[in-house]
Amino acid sequence: MAQENVSMKENDMAQTGFEPRILGFFCHWCCYAAADSAGVSRYQYPPNVRVVRVMCTGRIDTRFILEAFKCGADGVFTGG
Amino acid sequence: MAETCRQFLKDCGVDPERMSLEWASAAEAPRFVELITGYVSKIKDKGPLGEAEGEEEREKLIRHLKAGVKAAQARKPRTALGTLSKKLHKEGNFSKEAITEGVKAKILPALRSERILQEIKMLLSEGALSLDELSKEVKAEKEEVEKHLSTLSKKGTVKEETGKWSMA
Repeated sequence: MAQENVSMKENDMAQTGFEPRILGFFCHWCCYAAADSAGVSRYQYPPNVRVVRVMCTGRIDTRFILEAFKCGADGVFTGG
Repeated sequence: MAETCRQFLKDCGVDPERMSLEWASAAEAPRFVELITGYVSKIKDKGPLGEAEGEEEREKLIRHLKAGVKAAQARKPRTALGTLSKKLHKEGNFSKEAITEGVKAKILPALRSERILQEIKMLLSEGALSLDELSKEVKAEKEEVEKHLSTLSKKGTVKEETGKWSMA
């Protein structure tokens, strides 16, 4: 939880246009690996997602998502 | 879990579409890129949190969410979640309708009531408020707020003075 707070604050800089702050919960074995291989194969994708790696998507709780919105995230992307 | 989250976010005043759950395997980098790009542009269209949601001001929204976090930790809604998943498992019916209905009937009321309770406590610790003000602030019917207030006053946590409620 502390991690989220920090990452949201860090990004609180002045914005030109609207850049959404999105928190991503990625499963270590699926989406995280996909993100990794997307990087390796040099695909371009928006840099708005801050990633929290979880060992399994099943670890994610309703509370995590609410907490993210509470800290001011504009969206939460869960990738399994 | 995702359905619970969606319905409860709506209750807190957040557009449930801001939460997305997608599947991409480790070998599907192009699909992942597609998903992320699509999602980010969708959020960009919606604008910052608290703006697209309509009349609700941001501060109020954050308070709903704060109470929501507490509610999500409470015992009652968590038990409800466990009971529902057991029931679905027993019946072997994992259709979307069954899940939506189950969440709506069992989990959401528990979460909502817990959120209202937490929010009443938060508001009253800041200052005295009347019943009308309370129900407007917590986004709930008067009857719901009244029920919580009467249980709280029985416990001796809150008291009423000339139509205004405050912490005892």
